[in-house]
Amino acid sequence: MPQNRTSVGFEFPPYVVGTVDAEKMKTMAALLQDPNPIHWDVDAVNSLGLGSRPINQGPNNMAYVANALIAWSGGISNFRGLKVRFLDNVYAGDHLTVIGSVTDVDHVDDGDLATCEVQLVRGTVDSGDIVMAGQAVVLL
Amino acid sequence: MISEEELQSKVGYRFPGGEYLLEPYKNWLTNDVVGAKNGDNGLAHPMFCYYAALNSMGLSLEEFFAIFDATSDDGVMFGEAEIELKRAMTPGSTYSVSGQVTAVQRKKSKKLGTFDLVDFELSIHEADQLVGISRNSFIFPRELIDASE
Repeated sequence: MPQNRTSVGFEFPPYVVGTVDAEKMKTMAALLQDPNPIHWDVDAVNSLGLGSRPINQGPNNMAYVANALIAWSGGISNFRGLKVRFLDNVYAGDHLTVIGSVTDVDHVDDGDLATCEVQLVRGTVDSGDIVMAGQAVVLL
Repeated sequence: MISEEELQSKVGYRFPGGEYLLEPYKNWLTNDVVGAKNGDNGLAHPMFCYYAALNSMGLSLEEFFAIFDATSDDGVMFGEAEIELKRAMTPGSTYSVSGQVTAVQRKKSKKLGTFDLVDFELSIHEADQLVGISRNSFIFPRELIDASE
């Protein structure tokens, strides 16, 4: 694996999100004025056949990946973009980690613009489920 | 269920749009919810590109779902989402939001049965400067496939 973070193939350090908290989903539902009960009402989740725990808001999952990129690139001002596919629901109690690697580097006036493959993993990094995947762009 | 012809007619639908004041307290709470640190040079979390867009597209999510003959009780889900930032957003600033439905598609899968995929794009400006773009797709579950089939 390349040791230089502006090299294609460089893997940035795994970013541990931690355990998803159902109470945080309620705050976000209020902030987003999101009426979807799957984020707070277990009965609603059950009736839709989607399991027995509240389902995290998709944007929260994106935000975890953005946090990882901000931490790695050095600040919010270096964040340029993120495109993701939601592959599975994230439930209250899930333990998440963000991993990723550099796939392309473009030298621009104010630095190196790195395109990265990113994944949000539930469980252990080595054998967990990929619940969200995509591409991101950050300035290094 | 909405017909495919009616579904296709929604492409090009322009959202009413609106303005979004990025309240500092919302940035603080958002950072708290998603585990980000507060006070990164006075800049807002980049997800506000999404929050501002969805909040001020001029429709509530329930109204948006209704355009596609659905409600939040139907279990509408995210498909893909993209945020692209030209520059960081700042708490206390006001942004204008505009956009439209860009594509629709009826599909089938073993897991979801028949579902509609709806793509839409929202642009965020501060004065006349483009700050960011939020591109999203929602999945509207329509009919579960009988497992015995």
